[in-house]
Order: sequence, then structure tokens, then C-alpha cells
Amino acid sequence: MYCKRTLICTSFRYMLAKGTKRKFSEHEDGLEGKVSCGHGPSKVSYTLQRQAIFNISIMKLYQQQPLMEPSLKKTVLINNMLRRIQEELKREGNLRPVFIAPSQSSDTLNDNYRDVQPAFNHFASPPAQVTSTTPPDLCLTPASVLEEDAFSSCHTVTLGPSKPQNHLQKDTFSSALDEIEELCPSSTTTDSKISREQSSEGGNEKPEEVQENRPSETRFADPLPGNFEITTTSFLTDLTLDDILFADIDTSMYDFDPCASATGPSSKMTAVTADDILKTLSPYSSQSVTPSQPFKMDLAELDHIMEVLVGS
Amino acid sequence: MRRAGSCGSDVQWCFTQVKGTTDLDVSEADIISTVEFNHTGELLATGDKGGRVVIFQREQETKNQPHRQGEYNVYSTFQSHEPEFDYLKSLEIEEKINKIRWLPQQNAAHFLLSTNDKTIKLWKVSERDKRPEGYNLKDEEGRMKDLSTVTVLQVPVLKPMDLMVEVTPRKIFANAHTYHINSISVNSDCETYMSADDLRINLWHLGITDRSFNIVDIKPVDMEELTEVITAAEFHPHHCNLLVYSSSKGTLRLCDMRAAALCDKHAKLFEEPEDPSNRFFFSEITSSVSDVKFSHSGRYMMTRDYLTVKVWDLNMETKPIEIYQIHDYLRSKLCSLYENDCIFDKFECAWNGSDRLLLNSDFTIPFKPGFPEYS
Repeated sequence: MYCKRTLICTSFRYMLAKGTKRKFSEHEDGLEGKVSCGHGPSKVSYTLQRQAIFNISIMKLYQQQPLMEPSLKKTVLINNMLRRIQEELKREGNLRPVFIAPSQSSDTLNDNYRDVQPAFNHFASPPAQVTSTTPPDLCLTPASVLEEDAFSSCHTVTLGPSKPQNHLQKDTFSSALDEIEELCPSSTTTDSKISREQSSEGGNEKPEEVQENRPSETRFADPLPGNFEITTTSFLTDLTLDDILFADIDTSMYDFDPCASATGPSSKMTAVTADDILKTLSPYSSQSVTPSQPFKMDLAELDHIMEVLVGS
Repeated sequence: MRRAGSCGSDVQWCFTQVKGTTDLDVSEADIISTVEFNHTGELLATGDKGGRVVIFQREQETKNQPHRQGEYNVYSTFQSHEPEFDYLKSLEIEEKINKIRWLPQQNAAHFLLSTNDKTIKLWKVSERDKRPEGYNLKDEEGRMKDLSTVTVLQVPVLKPMDLMVEVTPRKIFANAHTYHINSISVNSDCETYMSADDLRINLWHLGITDRSFNIVDIKPVDMEELTEVITAAEFHPHHCNLLVYSSSKGTLRLCDMRAAALCDKHAKLFEEPEDPSNRFFFSEITSSVSDVKFSHSGRYMMTRDYLTVKVWDLNMETKPIEIYQIHDYLRSKLCSLYENDCIFDKFECAWNGSDRLLLNSDFTIPFKPGFPEYS
């Protein structure tokens, strides 16, 4: 019996580059060469793969076509992937504990600070570099985390109509907020209030969707076991969000134009606000800090903070 | 190019025609994004990324070669959608045609619905093979005659002319979707149809463009809690009150519009329980349903996800009755496919006319032979 309908079948594919057909390259290194996909892998390869997938997911969320609305389905699926990885890490106990063992010497602590790598600072790096140490002045303080993307966007977020770049910046800002939120349980409501303000200023669905990333990015330091993910953020536990974000930032040093694009003025803003942040932080940590120096914490200070947290 | 392969005892497949170009470099606008036969199979409509629709018509079977299947030739081409710009969000709206659906034919003309991300349009495709000649006041070119030359009154007569296919937009259904439209489906009552985007499904009347009714809304109050989107939707072929929609988590929800105005509560939920031993990183992404189709009988549904085709019985919600692995060899390559976005590709599926064969689209080979008989 012949099939009555003669079908002309097509493949439904979306091209990545204009005008070229996408081919699955046999020589593509990918990740399969290094790890297997979940069928009895060793713990390390599983962890490496998970980290790689995490990095890829972060990259995907940031690689959005400038003028086109991103696919909501794709965004949701990537976010779910990130969330799942985060939950897995949480279950494995790899998230940073707030307390540190008092027997740790300050040298060891400093080493740990150097090892800590906020995930989204390194989302562009290949998986193999996950465990490498980075220059100390790159990954030390929450301010250095905040300064890169967040505070340059802090002011652009509040201004004018939301442009596609703002979504990217809003996201990192809210992820930075989330990191701080984690340290300050009392300020949770403030954080969500701020993010609601952001989304209402954005005035459309997109920032809300992009802000879903928040939980995932900031919670990952080094996933390998045996690494203390004690970060310098622990010293911020007695701070509230308001203290950090809105305390005495000198805005007179730069002017911000609502219609300016993100490149020129904001890069200037970045440099300025980072300094400001660190200066505002200094009263709380009772140390004078400059952006270039590694953050050193007195052991006594840490003990004090521990006591505050433990409530003893 | 003709190639014959056989699968099963009574089905033979022939690769009959290739339309378009087989060059490696094609312009992006020419990429076909959707394909749809009409109900008789006489017409085939294709939509592309440039917003154009090309309709092919099967040539009549001749007496000389009754067994040979008619070839398809271009019947009509028209520009359905144009690129637009959303000034409020500063975003482009793609003109790519996401779906085409033919209306059941009720007179000599054919009607089809085509949609891009935001706007649905109803087109009338009609033939003109006669035209009136012999007007009293106008000459053949349409210019007004000099009245002094008119001495006799004549009645215009219809004379045959070369076949002309006219495609005219009859209705434009716009501004009803915040998110990207992924499906449209005409109801069996032939009066209404639905359009589904990522989070909402709207019900339209084919004759009314300025309002639609929202029948499904899965948007959470807090968008940060969003974990699931609608991926496809279809009306039941016989029961005008039943519709099904699929989600990115691999679930199917059958809704009865008689139950409530807003069908957020499903009448039936079809979900295959997850096998915890078989879970891997990309379980959720590969389980996202890209297409759902009712069988012509209305008893079964077919779903397509990234790696499988599943057939469901409407009477059994707990698991599908058949599962076909499409390209299981890709399971070990999912990481790369995730990296280059291939894993988000959408595939479609279809039942043949007698519901005996399942067909699906794939990217590796032109088509896949039908599955074992299914009735």
C-alpha cells in the first residue's frame, strides 16, 4: 500500500551564523572527550562536567542577541539547569559555611581567600581552570565582586527605559545582591524589595526572567571538596544591604546620563564606585583598604563575628 | 532523485521531490521554518524565516500514469509577515513564520492561518481563471472611453484567462500575546481557533480580530518562580471543548473548556514518571515536548521530544503506550549539543491519514521511515 501523501520533509533548524548550515563537527572536542555523561563517572569527572555545564549555562544566559527577545523556553530551561546544579552542590555541602574553624591560622585563611572564585567572574574560562588560583586582587572581596558589573549597572538600572544591556547588568547586580543577602538574613525583605523596584522600573517581563539567575551564580565558589569556601564576605554578616549599597556613595564624581549607552560613562563609573564601596566598607571592618590590596582580617575580628552569629 | 526503501510489509517510501536548493550556503531568509499540508493533501504550504509563505499544489493525476503520485509545483508565493520593531521594549519582532494551519475547506477558496511570534493572519487563497470583458464605459486597459464613441450597449461577458492565484489578507489578529506564539490550532467547530505562547493560550473567533479570550494562563505571580512554559497546543479533532497543551517539563495537560472559563486546572495530566536511575544532566531539557498531535480518530496523542516519540492513549494518564527512540546515539553527545544550542531544536511529528503511521522530522536524514504499524 502506497502512502497516499508524498511528503517533502524538511528539517527544522535554526542557524547560528547567517547563511551557513550548522553541522555537528566530528572533531568537536566538547566535553565528551573529557568526561562521560552520567553513566558511572568518577566523582571528579562528574564534578568537572557539572562545573562545565554550569559555566556553559552562565555563558548562554549572557550571550543574548542584542535586539532580539530571547527565547523564554530556553531561558527557563537553562535556569532550571543552574538551579539543579546549585541544589546538588548544596546537598553535597559545598556551599560556604558561615563559620570558620578558630584554629585556622590567618595565613591559611588568606590562602583560602585567594582560592575563592566567584563563579561568574570566570564563566568565560574553560573548566580546567576551575581549580587554579587566581591573582589575589581579583577575587577577594564582595566589593570586587560587586564592582565588576553590578555597580556600574546600579545607576543605569534606575534610569530611563530598560535597554537590552541593562538586563545583563541588572542580572549581575541582582546576583551580587543575592550574595549579600545570603550573608544578611535579616535583610532578605530589603533585597526582594530592591529587586522588585528594579523590575518595576524595567517595566517589562524580561528583567524578572533574567533575575531568576540570582540564586545560582553567587553560591558557587570552588566546587572541589576540601576547599574552604570561606570568603571575605563573612565579615559582612552584620551589615545590611542598605548600609552597603546606599551609604554615602559620593555620586558627585560622575554624572550619569539616562540615555548614555553602557560603555563609556559606566566604565568610568565602575572605577569610581569601586573605590567608594571599599571606602564605605572600611568603617565596618575597621581597617583601611584599597582595591589593590588583599583583604586581611584579624583573627580576633573573626572570632567576634563568630560569636555574634552563634549567639553565645 | 528517487530512492526506494521499504519498511514494514505494505509501506514503501519514495523520495520524490526536493524543493529549494541543496547548496550548502543558503540565505537565512530562505530557511523553511514550518510546513503544513491542507486536509486533502492537494496543497502544501511552507513558511520561511523571511516571512514568506510558498504554497505548492499537487498536479492532477493523469490517465496515462494513474499510479504515479502527482508532483508538487509552486502554486503561489506571498509575503505573510514583515519584520517589526517593538518600540516599548526596543526589540525586533521576527518575521519568521512559526506555524501555518489550513482551515477546513468550505467553498472554492482556501483559507489558512499563518503566525509569527506576535501576530496571526488569516489569508484567503482563491483562483481566478475568468475575467469580464466588454465594459461599456471602460476599455480593455481600464481607461475611460470617450463617450462619443459609444454607440451600442453591450453586456460584459466572462472570458477565460490564464489562471491567477490571488492571496489576500482577510483578518489580522494582533496584540494579544506578550510572549512568543508557538502554536495555533483550528477548532473542529470551524469558527474558533486558539493561539498559544510560552505562558498563555488565547481563544479567538475567526471573524473577530479585536478581542480574544484567555483560556490558559500559567504565568506565576512572581516570574522568578517560573520553571515551566507551554511548548505546543492543539484542539481535539472532534470534541470542540477539549484541548491539549504540552510543557517544557514533558507533561501534557488535557483541558475541558466546559469546566471553567479559565482552564488552568487540567482535566487530565499525562506525565511519564521519571526513572531516577536514568536521570542525567539533560533529562529535563530532552524531555521538553516540542510537538503534540492528536490522531485523526481522537483517541491517541503523539508527542515529540528531543530523543523520543511517544504515543499516549487519552484514557491512560500514567504513561505512554508506545515509546520510540529516535536518535539514542546522541545521548552521549548531549553536552556538545547543549553547548551549540542544538538541544533546543524543535521537531515536529504527524500522523498519516489513516493513523497507521507516525512520522517525525529529524535533522540527520531527510525523513525517517514510518514506525511499526499503529492503529
